[in-house]
Amino acid sequence: MNQWFILLKKEFLEMSRNYKWVWVPITFILLGILDPLTSYYLPQIIDSVGDLPEGTVIQIPEPSAAEVFIMSLSEYQLIGILIIVLSTMAIVSGERKSGVVQLILVKPVSYFSYITSKWAGALILISSSLFLGMLASWYYTGVLYEFLPFSDFLAAYWAYALWLILVLTLVVLCSAALKHPGATAMVTLITVFVLNLVGGSLTHALEWSPTQLPLYVSERLTTNQWPEHIWPAAGLAALFTFAFLVMAILLFKRKELAD
Amino acid sequence: MELLESVNWALIAPLIIIQLILMAVALVDLIKNDKTNGPKWMWAIIILVVNIVGPILYFVIGRRNH
Repeated sequence: MNQWFILLKKEFLEMSRNYKWVWVPITFILLGILDPLTSYYLPQIIDSVGDLPEGTVIQIPEPSAAEVFIMSLSEYQLIGILIIVLSTMAIVSGERKSGVVQLILVKPVSYFSYITSKWAGALILISSSLFLGMLASWYYTGVLYEFLPFSDFLAAYWAYALWLILVLTLVVLCSAALKHPGATAMVTLITVFVLNLVGGSLTHALEWSPTQLPLYVSERLTTNQWPEHIWPAAGLAALFTFAFLVMAILLFKRKELAD
Repeated sequence: MELLESVNWALIAPLIIIQLILMAVALVDLIKNDKTNGPKWMWAIIILVVNIVGPILYFVIGRRNH
């Protein structure tokens, strides 16, 4: 356990040297507050950029606070996932290339601690960035529109975090299996977007799929009630995360032994 | 001018400040780093000109870890 914490510390050190602790949280916060701001100031923005003829009246229905919050959450679904993939795609393969893996593994470090410490480091970075970003979004929506109950924010947070952690674990798995960070990014992004597409069109067939979690969050925020399939979907997300992690360790072990 | 007065600066200021932090950190790192992927002056322009996305691109693609 002691050794595991030393490895985790190394991860933190590396993430701060890469400035990941600066740019990942900042990006998530920006993603969170841009939507409430732009939708609130939309009339002024149109006024200042558009050459509309005198007397044009544009009626924009004022969105509700929940709608604005959902809109800013959808940014995490697209750009947030992109940031997660880009910031962690080299998590294992990068160290393999630079030779750090070999330096660490000559010491009595198990494959298990090596992979799980890396995974835990990335998990802490992403989940705390997401927390800050969603909190900022919740706050801005509250100031500009109307404060949603804090329990709504927490409910949205855990379901979103569960979904994004699953994506992160998929990145770790691909990074352990594939040589090039670029290939890792491609494979995960294509997988996630195809799954989203399938999940989006076959909503009834795939009610238990973790890809539905963001959808269920929107439902929770508009109707104030969790849809009934949230629990199996959340359970499956946790199960898949665990399975991906085990697979990552096994694949990594086999690859390192083969070299 | 009317537009500038109608804006709530207490809400816009944090947005501008964290953008500036992002830009400053990227620039400081660019100056300190010996090697980047691609010419340094190009990255300086990208960081300064392309809002938000520029510094992120630099951290993801431009930085070379040693």
